[in-house]
Amino acid sequence: MTAPRSATIIVDGRPVTAVAGVSLTAALVGDHRWALRRNPVDGGPRGPFCGMGVCFECEVTVDGVPSVRACLTRIRPGMRVDTTGAPNDR
Amino acid sequence: MIVERDVVVVGGGPAGLTAAARLAAAGLTVTILDEQPELGGQYYRRPAPEVARRWGDHRREGGELIAGVRAAGVECRTGHLVWGLADDDRTLLAEDEAGRPVRLRGRHLVLATGAYERSFPFPGWQLPGVTTPGFAQHLAAGDHTPIGERVVLAGSGPFLLPVACSLLALGVKVAGIAEAGTPYRPGRRALGTLRHPARLRELAGYAARLARARVPVWQGAVVLRADGHDRVSSVTLAAAGRPGQAIRTVEADALCVGYGFRPQTDLARLLGCEVTADPGTGDAIPVTDPAGRSSRPDVYVIGEAAGIGGAPTARARGLAAAHDILARETGHPVPPAEARRVATAARRLGHFTALTDALYPSPAQLLDALVPALADSTMACRCESVTAGELRADAAGDVNAAKARTRAGMGPCQGRVCGFAVAGLVRGGAVFPSRVPIRPVRMTTLLELAAEDGPA
Ligand SMILES: Cc1cc2nc3c(=O)[nH]c(=O)nc-3n(C[C@H](O)[C@H](O)[C@H](O)COP(=O)(O)OP(=O)(O)OC[C@H]3O[C@@H](n4cnc5c(N)ncnc54)[C@H](O)[C@@H]3O)c2cc1C
Repeated sequence: MTAPRSATIIVDGRPVTAVAGVSLTAALVGDHRWALRRNPVDGGPRGPFCGMGVCFECEVTVDGVPSVRACLTRIRPGMRVDTTGAPNDR
Repeated sequence: MIVERDVVVVGGGPAGLTAAARLAAAGLTVTILDEQPELGGQYYRRPAPEVARRWGDHRREGGELIAGVRAAGVECRTGHLVWGLADDDRTLLAEDEAGRPVRLRGRHLVLATGAYERSFPFPGWQLPGVTTPGFAQHLAAGDHTPIGERVVLAGSGPFLLPVACSLLALGVKVAGIAEAGTPYRPGRRALGTLRHPARLRELAGYAARLARARVPVWQGAVVLRADGHDRVSSVTLAAAGRPGQAIRTVEADALCVGYGFRPQTDLARLLGCEVTADPGTGDAIPVTDPAGRSSRPDVYVIGEAAGIGGAPTARARGLAAAHDILARETGHPVPPAEARRVATAARRLGHFTALTDALYPSPAQLLDALVPALADSTMACRCESVTAGELRADAAGDVNAAKARTRAGMGPCQGRVCGFAVAGLVRGGAVFPSRVPIRPVRMTTLLELAAEDGPA
């Protein structure tokens, strides 16, 4: 069987490769990146929860646009994604 | 820009697609909107093309339905969030993918906004790696991506079974399924489902695969807590009858918990459609006639937005609404044989739903079991980080008073995630009221909209 075509995106400055056209949450989870943001009230790490656009826990910055829900976004080659989940980001 | 159509359909799932295809085939001008990047909704969510090419399309009929909608000439606006209503009470306000405002008017509005998963808090549920079962399902079926290597599923309802099977198909270790009820014990309640062999075969097929893979199904078990550092690493379960006492701890790098689905009624309520409490679940559902017509003659509510019933029911409701609209438009009712077929199918499907529902604890029973065991220190509202204790202290029986005082339900999810638990904690059965915007909208959209309106 032929290997699927892949696409590489840049997450927090580092390349992440996934199957072309999958959701951004899939690319991030496939790369074991779960903590995508910090809760603004308690500062705790948060990751994707509902996968359908309802919970807003997977918001990241995509190509400079803030508050983009990763679960409603499909990856495009070269897409730049910035997360704020790492503890020292704040 | 104002889009004027005979019919505007919000939601491109099985219900909305079915209605749109039928209406456009009859010659009406139809626009369908969905905030997802592709049509399909939850059940017919399209796999990424590359995933479909390599691993196949798990729901081909969804692709065929969407192709039919496009071929019938429906204007398809994906990436469009409908977030509000203009002052005239009939113009829908949306934003497109680029954040540009779009206004839409339909002589008939069809709301097919579907459902979202019913969650209930426990200590650690805000940890990354704790998700809904639907997220695991979409990652597996649509993106061929396992949610973890060792996964625990929990909550209640038949949906946990297909999700477990999707994970097994990817080679994931499903450490176990904790089902709050005891639906899989032979009993008189299960017998009725035998009259629905096709649907029963589907459930039995899942059960057989789980048994082959030796996936334990812990009945009468609920999540007591999840532990981990920056991601969940273990799950502790309790007996549903004594939800405070640990019975086992399981290692897992993902925990997917859901208690079935709740209708997404925000737009219907915003449009002033009358709602009532679903007799089975207590959730708010719009009052509709069998064709989906709401208390507002120009607004139909169909699919799971009108009550949970599964994808085949959603399609039947979509067709019934389309027939009703066509009859009003043309003055000729649809041929009685076709209408009868749809009505019979809908009745049979409703019967099966009622029977399967009866196997699982009702939402009211779940609240009775889960709320007393919820520790005061547990975060109940994830967005605003409000604890169960803060909400209890405010238990005046009114979710709105609780919201105003504690901020629970005020965050970006607008109480969709915590609403079920908050209602249980304050003993105020209702849902949070719908307000504009029903989801956060970009500031630029609002500014552009204001600019279009000209100086005030
Ligand atoms: C995450 C999830 C996964 C599911 N997976 C399965 C499954 O695998 N098998 C199964 O049998 N059932 C599944 N279900 C149950 C499913 O809800 C129904 O079976 C079926 O999809 C209902 O069809 P529908 O047309 O009523 O709504 P949906 O399919 O939910 O479609 C509603 C659509 O409306 C859109 N929408 C809602 N509000 C707005 C708005 N304001 N603006 C723009 N668009 C909007 C949504 O994006 C969505 O695409 C799932 C449900 C969820 C929530």
